[in-house]
Amino acid sequence: MSATLRTANSAEALRSAFDSERALPFAARGVEQSENLITIRVAGDPYAIRTSEISGLVADRKIVAFPSPTSELLGIAAFRGVLLPVYSLAALLGYAAETEQTRWLALCGSEEPLALAFSGFEGYVHVSLDQIHAAEQTGAMQRTVRHVVRGVDMVRAVISIPLIREAIQKRCDKNGVSKER
Amino acid sequence: MWTFGRKIAAGFALSFLLLMGIGMVAYRSIVSLTSTSHLVTHTHQVLEHIAGVLSLLKDAETGQRGYVITGDEAFLDPYQSGSSNVHSVLKELRELTVDNPNQQKRIDEAEPLVTLKLSELKRTLDLRRSGNVEEANKIIRAGEGKRTMDNLRVILADMEREERDLLKQRADDVESSASSAKYTIILGTLFCLLFVTAAGFFITRSLTGQIGAAVRHMQNSSAELQSAANQQASGAKESATAMSEITTTISELLATSRQIAESAQRVAHVAEETSSAARAGDTTVQKSHESVNGIKRQVDLIVTHMLDLGKKSQQIGGILEIINELAEQTNILAINATIEASGAGEAGKRFAVVADEIRKLADRVGGSTKEIRVLIEEIRAAVNTTVMATEGGSKAVDFGARQFGEVTTALKQITELLGTTTAAAREIELSTKQQSTAVEQVNIAVSNVAKAAKETEVSSSQTLQTAGQLAGLSRELTQLIQAQASA
Repeated sequence: MSATLRTANSAEALRSAFDSERALPFAARGVEQSENLITIRVAGDPYAIRTSEISGLVADRKIVAFPSPTSELLGIAAFRGVLLPVYSLAALLGYAAETEQTRWLALCGSEEPLALAFSGFEGYVHVSLDQIHAAEQTGAMQRTVRHVVRGVDMVRAVISIPLIREAIQKRCDKNGVSKER
Repeated sequence: MWTFGRKIAAGFALSFLLLMGIGMVAYRSIVSLTSTSHLVTHTHQVLEHIAGVLSLLKDAETGQRGYVITGDEAFLDPYQSGSSNVHSVLKELRELTVDNPNQQKRIDEAEPLVTLKLSELKRTLDLRRSGNVEEANKIIRAGEGKRTMDNLRVILADMEREERDLLKQRADDVESSASSAKYTIILGTLFCLLFVTAAGFFITRSLTGQIGAAVRHMQNSSAELQSAANQQASGAKESATAMSEITTTISELLATSRQIAESAQRVAHVAEETSSAARAGDTTVQKSHESVNGIKRQVDLIVTHMLDLGKKSQQIGGILEIINELAEQTNILAINATIEASGAGEAGKRFAVVADEIRKLADRVGGSTKEIRVLIEEIRAAVNTTVMATEGGSKAVDFGARQFGEVTTALKQITELLGTTTAAAREIELSTKQQSTAVEQVNIAVSNVAKAAKETEVSSSQTLQTAGQLAGLSRELTQLIQAQASA
């Protein structure tokens, strides 16, 4: 099959899939036990984050360096008129430093929002709860990862945003940073 | 030092001079004798005429007396003969003694007496005829006639005496000349004999020495000549052998020259064929060159099109980047919408479905753009490869065109060189033919030289033989000279 024909077939499949999805009533879809995850790469390693734990995903935002005793704090960035602290997810996960550009920011929380910077965004996955298992992590990973998602062709640690926030809080407490900004 | 010729010539010259002297003396004596004998004969003629005058007058007187006595006419014959001839004899006598004035004077004295006598005789005869015998006798008795005759006798006797004296004198001269000639001849002959003997002795002695030396020299020379003839004979034999070898070599050379000429002819023929083939090849190459130029233009066109294609694909890539960015933004928006929808509770579920669908579409668009990018990258790579290959082809075509140009130039050079080669091959052919002719001539000349060498060998043998004969001859000459010397 030629590439042109394959592309045309893909477009037709997309069109028919979208139409059929849109044609079904919402109730007919049923309620399944599942999780939505975004798949990312931190320092080259595959990870996943629950979409329910983040409030948004942005890319290519300017990060202004901010002096801080916390080494994980990269700086601050503006998002929808609000200044957010931006932390390096790699540093929080225990990596030495990101070699690649951290162009992606995952926004977390609404009361004390913050942004986690990472280098690679791979996509969005929809997995059933059966595919999520408890993680057997040690060290720094134990403080940030509780589950692992296992698919047909995928095994990823699911980063827990609440644990990340706790870790940041601990770091801030340890360094004596005030919560007031 | 005097040579043989000078010595012999001097001897012969002196002998000749002596003989000449003797001969001249003898000649002068003979001439004198001859002259004297002529004078003697002349004197005898004068004496005969003197006697004849007297005899004729006596005959006339006898006839006159007989007729007078007898009256017979028959007695008048002596008278007739004497009277008619006496004047002519007297005239001859005058001519014979014209150089003697004494005799002329006596003739002048005798002539009137003769006339007188003849007239007396005629008168008596006339008287007798007329019958006057007595008158006639009277006249006769008177003695006139007798006195006339006596006077004539005296005159003629004087003339005879003088002639006799001359005769005696001339006989003495003859005797003197003859004795002088005799003595001269005898003495000269003796002197000549002595001189020739002495000269012969001295010349023989001298020649014996010189000829002996020459003969010895000739012996040495003949020995050397014999040796040289031997060497010459051996050399001639070697020359003949060498000439035979040279003839063989030249024959081989001639055959080789002919082969070279044939080869040069074939080369010229092949060069001509090659030249025509090269011209045909030149035409073909020119056509090919034009075709290559056409290919080059087409390739340039292909390169231009391919570059345009590359630019277009690059532009597509740029557009695709925009699409990809849009899809990524859509994806992010859809994810954010999903997040927002999940935060909105039940009311956001329907929105979440839509957002999910949008996200899926964005995902698929992203996937498709990736595929398209891959395809475009492949197209660009293919285009680049094609452009590079085409540029390589263009360069190859350029190179081929240049090569064709060089081939055309080379073919033209080949054609020119083949022309030169053809001309050179023809010159070689011509030169080789001339060389063959020259070699044939040389062969003939060498054959002649070989014949000459053989002839030289033969002549050397003959020379050797002649030298041997010369040596023998010189030995014989030596023996002869030694025999003469010993004698």
